[in-house]
Amino acid sequence: MKQKVFIGALLIIIVVAISLMVKDFVDTKNTSKKNPYKYDLESLKKIDSTKFCFKEIHQLELEISEPKCIAVDNQSNIFVGGQDEISVFDKFGKFTYALKASSAVNCMAISSFDELYVGTKNSIQLWNHERKLEKSWLIKADNVLITSLAIKDSSIFVADAGNGIVWHYNINGELLNRIGDKDTVQGIFGFVIPSSYFDLKIGRDGELWVVNPGRHSLEAYTDEGNLISSWTKSSMQIQGFCGCCNPSNIAILSNGSFVTSEKGIERVKVYKPSGEFDCVVAGPDSFEKGTKGIDLAVDSDDRIVVLDPLKKVVRIFVKL
Amino acid sequence: MKKNNNLSRRDFINRSVRVSAFIGLGGLGAILFKNNVSGETIWQLDASKCIQCGRCATDCVLAQSAVKCMHVYDMCGYCDLCGGYFRTEVKDLTTAAENQLCPTRAIERKFVEEPFFEYKIDEKLCIACGKCVAGCGAFGNGSLQLQVNPDICTNCNQCSIAKNCPTDSFQKVPVNKPYKFSK
Amino acid sequence: MQKWKFIIVLFAFNLLVINAIGQKRFPKPEFETEYMQPQMHSPLPRANILEYLDILILVGSLSLISWVIVKKRSRKAVFWITVFSVIYFGFYRQGCICSVGSIQNVSFALFNPGSEIPFSALVFFFIPIIYTLLFGRTFCAGICPLGALQELFVFKPINLEAWLEKILGILPFIYLGLAVLYSATGTDFIICRYDPFVGFFRFNASFMMLIVGGIFLLLGVFIARPYCRFLCPYGALLNLFSRFSRKHLTITPNECIQCRLCEDSCPVGSIENPNLLKERENPKKSTKRYISYLIILPVLIIIGGLSISSFHENLAMANAKVRLAKEIMNKTNFGLIDDEALEISGFKTSGQSVSELFEEASNVVNSFYYGSWFLGAYLGLVFGLTLINLNVFRYSPDYTINKATCHSCARCVDYCPIKKSV
Repeated sequence: MKQKVFIGALLIIIVVAISLMVKDFVDTKNTSKKNPYKYDLESLKKIDSTKFCFKEIHQLELEISEPKCIAVDNQSNIFVGGQDEISVFDKFGKFTYALKASSAVNCMAISSFDELYVGTKNSIQLWNHERKLEKSWLIKADNVLITSLAIKDSSIFVADAGNGIVWHYNINGELLNRIGDKDTVQGIFGFVIPSSYFDLKIGRDGELWVVNPGRHSLEAYTDEGNLISSWTKSSMQIQGFCGCCNPSNIAILSNGSFVTSEKGIERVKVYKPSGEFDCVVAGPDSFEKGTKGIDLAVDSDDRIVVLDPLKKVVRIFVKL
Repeated sequence: MKKNNNLSRRDFINRSVRVSAFIGLGGLGAILFKNNVSGETIWQLDASKCIQCGRCATDCVLAQSAVKCMHVYDMCGYCDLCGGYFRTEVKDLTTAAENQLCPTRAIERKFVEEPFFEYKIDEKLCIACGKCVAGCGAFGNGSLQLQVNPDICTNCNQCSIAKNCPTDSFQKVPVNKPYKFSK
Repeated sequence: MQKWKFIIVLFAFNLLVINAIGQKRFPKPEFETEYMQPQMHSPLPRANILEYLDILILVGSLSLISWVIVKKRSRKAVFWITVFSVIYFGFYRQGCICSVGSIQNVSFALFNPGSEIPFSALVFFFIPIIYTLLFGRTFCAGICPLGALQELFVFKPINLEAWLEKILGILPFIYLGLAVLYSATGTDFIICRYDPFVGFFRFNASFMMLIVGGIFLLLGVFIARPYCRFLCPYGALLNLFSRFSRKHLTITPNECIQCRLCEDSCPVGSIENPNLLKERENPKKSTKRYISYLIILPVLIIIGGLSISSFHENLAMANAKVRLAKEIMNKTNFGLIDDEALEISGFKTSGQSVSELFEEASNVVNSFYYGSWFLGAYLGLVFGLTLINLNVFRYSPDYTINKATCHSCARCVDYCPIKKSV
């Protein structure tokens, strides 16, 4: 009798063990665990609405694959460069024509003579105002990665992120000088380029403004490579440049103010010519997480043209 | 007499079932061998798909996860303000514990030369929470990546992290190509 | 010869530090000081050749234990081989890969053309079956790490009633069917997940599984080998194959003096007492019952198929793709309120469209439909055959060892006074 009770007890224990296993199996179907180690950028991504000074008025849908860069000419036509073509839109956002590119377009710039300069990975192409390829030349160096172009009169400034310097060519393709080599006498640290975002633009008074992303600073140079001035703002907060290497792209308004775009915390901001933070154009809410390379341009009406490469749209902002 | 017949009948059935079982098994084995067999494989996660959900830290059958954060130095920018080392609202860039992102202080920061700093991971402390990976991926080059350490991993038949990975990043890779870093 | 060359080359290749990873996406910063970039710590996995060592040890120890059981009949030797298995296949290899789990690999490979099965899994599946066809369940005796561990915990085995054992003996077949269904659809490897003993081998497991493992081990002190007899799916397979084994451990009728000393010696109750004609039930009644069981067998199969297949959607919910599709379709976000469920955010980064996911999920549910029909029919068959088996009277004037349930542990050998009788 005792033995029977004992066996009965053991059997109940077996049943308990098996039912534990079954219950666990059923339970695993119903839950989704949250992340206890969440890397939270939410607090940083909130921007006070009073800080906005521009509003979005228009969005252009892009059809080209992998849009990378944007440029604007004197008639405010918008050029968007991608993997294998360049799309051109008029100032009202209507698509006018497309150009076939032989290789990926990294950057573009349009001269005052309406010539289109295209930078590929390691070469510069000159398309005349009838949009026929007139000239092209290679940069003679290793590890070249052209990320930005700027044209002033007969000078072409080429930002090479691979070598971390700016090449100064004339429009005939002759190399004039290098800008940005380390020079302790002049106080030039050299460009720190941790990732392939390196932008430059011609300023209000003809000086060359170059982003030094590793130092979160913008530096102004003469054509010969002499440092005129610089300003820097390192911060995760709205006033500064976040992360390791920002701003990824810049543009310059007609009054000399800087428009900057960042990656990591995706935002487009305006700084006064002195380098003091002014206001916000677009915040992380307008962009998908992980958007990198938000290229900028300013047209003749001081509208800010922003390329969103992930959502494949061009956004146009006007001052509030 | 009768007994003899019985035995041999049973014997015959036994033998024929056995032989057909052998043949069947042989056939099955041959089919599987020809079509499907692979060499030895290990679990690895595809770092380009990882979204740093934190489950590598919690779901491994081992108490301290076999997944570790590994630093691909070739991709590192050696930044002063390292996105993977410092927490997001850091005030000053020092190695003080309150500035660090890593919950177990597994990253060592060392000054190299102006303005470069070296960041090294102490694998014994790393719990694979993925915070540094998320930080480096958001603000940096993505040189910090989670990968299964094949030394520690017991190579379970079914990886329990793999079962719960929201992006299905875990796959079996051949033993001679044990890593899947993202470029 | 080719194979060995291949192994050696692979082994040598493994010794090299493979540095194909970390392609320079971007030129490194130029260091002016003598700074040397540290070597990334990327340890290599277990050398491929050790896989073949495992197979060798499996075959070697299986051969040894089979010889020890069938030829030498030494309980002591079986015991020591059992200890070796617990140490090698258990603690050293941490219980993975094991033959029990290999069922899932084989079924997954069979039903998913194009999928891969590691060579060691294939070998671990087939070799013990082949040895069972030859010598009986010698694998169960002391090679299987789970069996070996339970074997070491048998101290005061109690024999259960025959009907109870038969009923509980259906469970392994149910487990086998479920395991094959879930692994064939690529849903889950439930044998691995609910392996109670692997936690001990790894010194690491979830709390629940440690409790379950502990229960099984403690239970095993009194009811010998509970997992082996009442759950192990591979045991179900070996049970079937062992019935046709060539040279099983047997009680030689000519030499048996019917001293009855071995009656209670078997911890799993595999030694059957003689079945004399006088204990037989009224043959008319039993024949009638036999025929009725035969008739209801196909009915059972169909009922089984119908009932399980009506559950197929519930069964399919264990599949991650199906669950994800359901949560997206019903917009229930896995029951979470504030944050988006990680499964959904992760899916969004994958680039797959929702319609593609729905299609894949419905394919899985479809395969579950067919799979559960088979499962139900198979369960009906198992149940029906068990009933029929319970009804059959096997006349035997001698003590016999039930080949199906005997785990060849050779405990009975020491009880027999006639040398070399068992």
